[in-house]
Amino acid sequence: MELLQQILAYSILMVAVGYLVWRYLLPKPVTGSKKEDTKACGQNDCGCR
Amino acid sequence: MNKSIRVALIGNPNTGKTSIFNQLTGLKQKVGNYPGITVEKKEGICKLPNRAKAHIFDLPGTYSLNTNSLDERVVAELLLDQKDGDYPDLAVVITEVENLKRNLFLFTQVKDLRIPTLLVINMADLIPKKGISLNVDALEKKLDTKIALVSTRKGSGILHLKELIANYHNLSAGPTTVISKIAPEYFSKLKQALPTENLYRLWLAIAQKMSLETKNAIPPASLPILSHKDLKQLQHRETVLRYQFINNALKETYLVDFKTAKGFRAVLDKTFTHKVFGYILFFMILLTIFQAIFDWSSYPSDFIDAQFSEISGWIKSNFPAGILTDLLAEGVISGIGGIAVFIPQIAFLFFFISLLEESGYMSRVVFLMDRLMRPFGLSGKSVVPLISGTACAIPAVMATRTIENWKERLITILVIPFTTCSARLPVYLILIALVIPDDSILGLSYQALTLMLLYLLGFGMAIFSAMVLNRILKMENRVFFIAEMPNYRLPLLKNVGYTVLEKTKSFVIGAGKIILALAIILWFLGSNGFSKNFRNAETIVSERIEKQGLTPYSKNYIKNNIDLYLKNIHTSPTDRDQVSGKRAIQDSVRIRTRNLEENAKRQEIASYKLEHSYMGYAGKGIEPLVKPLGYDWKIGIAVLTSFAAREVFVGTLATIYSVGNDQEETIKNRMAGELDESGEKPLFNLASGISLMLFYAFAMQCMSTLAVVKKETNSWRWPLVQLLFMSAFAYLVALTAFQLLK
Repeated sequence: MELLQQILAYSILMVAVGYLVWRYLLPKPVTGSKKEDTKACGQNDCGCR
Repeated sequence: MNKSIRVALIGNPNTGKTSIFNQLTGLKQKVGNYPGITVEKKEGICKLPNRAKAHIFDLPGTYSLNTNSLDERVVAELLLDQKDGDYPDLAVVITEVENLKRNLFLFTQVKDLRIPTLLVINMADLIPKKGISLNVDALEKKLDTKIALVSTRKGSGILHLKELIANYHNLSAGPTTVISKIAPEYFSKLKQALPTENLYRLWLAIAQKMSLETKNAIPPASLPILSHKDLKQLQHRETVLRYQFINNALKETYLVDFKTAKGFRAVLDKTFTHKVFGYILFFMILLTIFQAIFDWSSYPSDFIDAQFSEISGWIKSNFPAGILTDLLAEGVISGIGGIAVFIPQIAFLFFFISLLEESGYMSRVVFLMDRLMRPFGLSGKSVVPLISGTACAIPAVMATRTIENWKERLITILVIPFTTCSARLPVYLILIALVIPDDSILGLSYQALTLMLLYLLGFGMAIFSAMVLNRILKMENRVFFIAEMPNYRLPLLKNVGYTVLEKTKSFVIGAGKIILALAIILWFLGSNGFSKNFRNAETIVSERIEKQGLTPYSKNYIKNNIDLYLKNIHTSPTDRDQVSGKRAIQDSVRIRTRNLEENAKRQEIASYKLEHSYMGYAGKGIEPLVKPLGYDWKIGIAVLTSFAAREVFVGTLATIYSVGNDQEETIKNRMAGELDESGEKPLFNLASGISLMLFYAFAMQCMSTLAVVKKETNSWRWPLVQLLFMSAFAYLVALTAFQLLK
C-alpha cells in the first residue's frame, strides 16, 4: 500500500511539474498556440503586428 | 444539399448586435453596454426556416466604414476583400430604434458596396414607449431593402429575420446614393481607370488606404491621386450626401414625440454625468459594492473555508496513512480551498459590475471619466480598458485595440496592470480580514473602506503613470472620443447570471490549475529535505521541549484554549452537562491540556521540519530581500510563486501552513496564528499587512499579462519596462510603508 501511495503521489507531482513547464516554459509552437494572423492592419507603427 | 449562406452582422456599438447574434446562433456571449466591447470577430451557425444554414459572423461594432480604429478596420477590410473566405453573401445591418438616424449612415455605406443588405431595427419594443411612429413599409421602399423589427429583450422578430435571411436572393443590391456626386470629375477619372469596378468600393479603398483584392486591380499609380486635404474634403461631402439621403428617407417614415419621450432619461443623464454629483454618486456606488462584498460574502466564504478544513480532516482520518493521503489533505485540498473561499467575493464583484453595465450606467461612467482623464493625456476610450482591468488585465490590454492613436494605446497598455484586477482580490481580502479591524465609522466598515481605497489607489496610480508617460513619450495628436449613451434598461437577470458564472468559472478554472500544480510542488518541497536537521526533526524538537519546554506561542495558545474551555463550562449548557463537579472539571482540564501539549509538540516538529525542508532553504535564501518589507521566508516564497499569478499567493500560504498540520483550521486562522521571529507578535500585523497590500497593488505579478503585452506591442521592450518599473516601485513603496508603520 505504501509503495502504491508513493507511485501515485510522485505521478501527481510529475503531472503538476509537466503542466507548469507546458504552460510557462515551452515555446509557443510546441504548445500548439493559435495560428499567427498575417494580415496587417495597414496603419503605420500601430504596433499591432 | 443547400449551400451555407455567409451572413455578416454589422452595426454601431450598443445596438444589440451581440444579443441578436446569440439569438440567431444559440451561442452565449457577454452583452455589455459600453463601447468597444466587441473587439473580436465571432462566428456561429444559424438554422433557417427553409432547412438552409447560415454562417453568421458577428463583426466588431463600427460607426462607419471610414475607419478610426483597428476593430473598425476589420469590418472595412472584410467588406472590401471579395476574395476573403468570410466575404458575406448578405450583410445584416443592426440598428437601434432610438438612434436610427445615426445608425443608418453605416447602412448606406454597406449597401453602396452592392452587397445584398438587410436592415434590422432592434429594441422595437421601445417604439410605443418612446413616442416613436415608424412606417416600415414606406421606409423599406425608401431604403430599397427589407426591414426586420426585432426586440432581443422580448425575443420577438427573430423568426422573421431568419425568413428574410433565407430569402436574401430577393433583396436588391442597388446603391442608396450616387457617390460620384461628391466629385464628378474625379470619379469620372476613376471610372476610366477601372471601368468594371464598383465606384464606391474603389473610393472607400482609396480613402482608407487599403488594397483591392480583385482580378481587375491595376497598379495604384494609374489612379488619380488626391492630396490629404482633398481626401478629407471629399469624405466630408460624402457624409453630407448620406445624411441628406437619410433625412429624406426618415422625414415621413420616422416620427418622434419628444415631449413625452425624453424627459426622464435626460434628468438621469444630467445627474449621472454631473461634474460634481456624478463623481459623488459613482464613489457612493463603489463604496456600496465593496461594503456588500465584505458583508454579504463573508457567510458563504466562511462556510466554504470550513468545508475544506473538514474535507482535509476527513481524508486524514479515513484514508490509509501515507504520502498520498498527506499530499491530498495538506497539498491538494488546501491549495484548492485557498482559491475556493474567494468564489463568493468574486461572484459578488462581477454581479455588481454586470448590473452597472446592463443598466446602461457604465457608459455614463465612461463619459464622466473622460473628463477626468483628459488632463492626463488619455481619453474616455482608455477608460473602457481600464475599467475592464478590474476583471482581468489580459482582455483589458486587448480591448485597447479600439484606441486609434498608437501612443495613447501604448500608454493605456502600460498602465492597465495598475488597476485592481480580480486576482488581487483574494490577496486583499485575506490581508484586510487579518490586519484591518472589523469595526465601522458612520456605518461604513473599515475593511470595505480599505478595499475601496486600494481600488482607487490602483486607478490613481494608473492615471498618474499615464501622465508621466505622456510627458516622456510626447504624444503627438489627440483623438476625439465618441461615447455611446445607451438607454437605461432593467438589467436582464439571465445576462447578469451568465456574466457572473462565466467570470467566476474562468477565474477558478484558469487560476485553479496553476494554483493546484504549484500547491502540489510546494507540498513536496515542504515535506522533503536533505539535511540531518530535517531527518532528525522529531528527536531535536523533543529534546529541546524536554529541556526548555514548549515555545511561548504554544504555551499561550494552550492557555487561551483552556481559558475559553473553562468559560464555556460556566456558560454553555452542553459543556456544563458533560462536565459537572469540581473534580470532574479538573480531570477534564488535565486531559485537555495533555492533548493540546501533544498537538503543540507535533506542530513544533512540523514547523521545524518545514524550516529545514527544500522550501525552507529556498525561502531562507530570499529572506534577506523580503525581511526589510516585514515578511518572513514563508511570505517570501508566496510572493515568489505568485509571480505566475497573484491569486497563487493565498493558495501558497494555505499550503505552506498546512504542511504537517493535523488540526482542522481555516486558512484565515492559520495565518492569524503565525508569529514573527520574536514569537510574540502576529506575523500579519498592520505594518506587514499594509506593506504586502501595497506591494501587490503595484507589482507586476502576472506572467500572462506580460505575454499579452508582448503580443500587443510586438516587442519584449515594453513588458520588460513594465516588469522592472512596477517591481522596483512596488518594492520601494512596500519598504517605505513597513518602515514607517512598524
